[in-house]
Amino acid sequence: MLLKKYLKDKLFVILFGTGIFIVLFMLLVAFKVPASLKTAFTLIFWFFLVVSIGFEYARRYRFYNELKNNLDGLDQKYLILEMLERPDFYEGQIMTDILYEIDKSMTEQVKKYSLNMEDFKEYIEMWIHEVKIPISSLVLMCHNHQDALDKKYISQIKRLDRYIDQVLYYVRAEHAEKDYRIKKTDLKKMVHNVVMNNKDDLLETGVNLKLGELAQTVVTDAKWLEFILNQIINNAVKYRREDVEPEIAVWTEKKDYLVLLHVRDNGIGIPQNDIGRIFEKSFTGENGRKHAKSTGMGLYIAKNLCRKLGHGIGAESVAGEFTDIWIGFEEEKD
Amino acid sequence: MKKILIVEDDMAICEELVELLQNNGYEASAIRQFTNVREQLLLASADLILLDINIPGLNGEMLLKEFRKESQTPVIMVTSRASEVDEVLSMSLGADDYITKPYNPTILLLRIAAILKRTEYNGEVLTYRDLVINLPKGTLTKRTEGGNSLNGETELSLTKNEMLILQTLLNNRNRIVKRDELMTVLWDNDEFINDNALTVNISRLRAKLSDFGYPDAIETRKKQGYLLLEE
Repeated sequence: MLLKKYLKDKLFVILFGTGIFIVLFMLLVAFKVPASLKTAFTLIFWFFLVVSIGFEYARRYRFYNELKNNLDGLDQKYLILEMLERPDFYEGQIMTDILYEIDKSMTEQVKKYSLNMEDFKEYIEMWIHEVKIPISSLVLMCHNHQDALDKKYISQIKRLDRYIDQVLYYVRAEHAEKDYRIKKTDLKKMVHNVVMNNKDDLLETGVNLKLGELAQTVVTDAKWLEFILNQIINNAVKYRREDVEPEIAVWTEKKDYLVLLHVRDNGIGIPQNDIGRIFEKSFTGENGRKHAKSTGMGLYIAKNLCRKLGHGIGAESVAGEFTDIWIGFEEEKD
Repeated sequence: MKKILIVEDDMAICEELVELLQNNGYEASAIRQFTNVREQLLLASADLILLDINIPGLNGEMLLKEFRKESQTPVIMVTSRASEVDEVLSMSLGADDYITKPYNPTILLLRIAAILKRTEYNGEVLTYRDLVINLPKGTLTKRTEGGNSLNGETELSLTKNEMLILQTLLNNRNRIVKRDELMTVLWDNDEFINDNALTVNISRLRAKLSDFGYPDAIETRKKQGYLLLEE
């Protein structure tokens, strides 16, 4: 709270006071009172004016300054009311009362939305489990009646299933508190599951899969990590180059206190301008526009899940040569 | 014939599962009424149970827990809820495996076969006509007249891929095995080969079998797959 601004605010009082002083002083002159009385009057008048303005200023200064300092130190600004002392001047009291009302109504509103979100999330999860049932029966039907049905059916159903999973993990990544369980997990088994899941696509597109040295175990949630790897492998298949034999290599590397899991393809790569943004929500970039359709959600969800699990994720790429996505796990402590 | 009991409330899946299992040489039946499921499970005396976790009015995990107190019949939990928490819980309650929907039917069959093999050890030696296939050693041996007298010429070693192909064909005698099934088995064993390599592997296996005098053992059925001929 600046004194200058405060005084400007009180300009009317000051001008009015000065006006009264001038009128009274002229009266004193008119009544020819002795000079000493005039001096005393002047001193007393200005003394009271300055003290009253100063006192008011001091009270407000103390209150607003504390409020502002507290506010600056707060992460969630709306919590300021919790640490606000009720001021001893009337306007301040009105203001705090109003703030309380506003805060209460906002909290109620936010609560309403968060409950709505929670309901929606639950519904989506339920819906996904429900929609998986007809998908499973379609897969089984295709398998049982392979003579009549082409393999293309299965691949479309799989695509459907992948898109559905993307919604599931999006919801989980944004809201999950209890959905995951981090424990020592067999990395080979997870990679194996993901590869098996993508077997038809890999064979169809003629991708050469190279499994390198893999760390025994990492500390993670298996289902989540499998989803993340699935996204990465899907991208590697999707953005392959037609002029070379497509290849995907998967291996782990120890670096300082991290275990890095690499998934490297020899695909079209990512342009230098885009690489910093591939994990952003809805970012599609040049590849998304020119090559395959993209929602820009896959890697965003992957990163979000990694953040929750405490893993690092990053990318290295040269356009037209390769893309290498790595996930960093903290090394287990014995 | 091994008997498999299905506990699944979705009729479409249920019917397809029964068909799938029957096509693959199992006796499959499904529970129709979801009251007293535990008693039904115990009375069915199945060799394996496929148990869906989310059946209305029924808690699959509680059911498994109760069932495990009285029976050691292998149980594969099937669910559309893909979460690590559920999987860990199921396994700790005594499930033998845990599969999420939608599953690859071939993989499901492999898991079932693996568990049935685990629970009932039926030897690791398979035979084809007068050939003995030794899985752990990875060899193919001709049984000679005198019994087990062997000389160097009647034993051939098979590569892992050839062994897996032969084993799959042997486990599905009298039935056409699709290329995709062979591929699934190979990939499931971390042999990520492509289409051409599969063809090469099969011709190598054929060559080895013809060395033993069975040049026509594996018959190709155009657009369908392969069939192991018995006679």
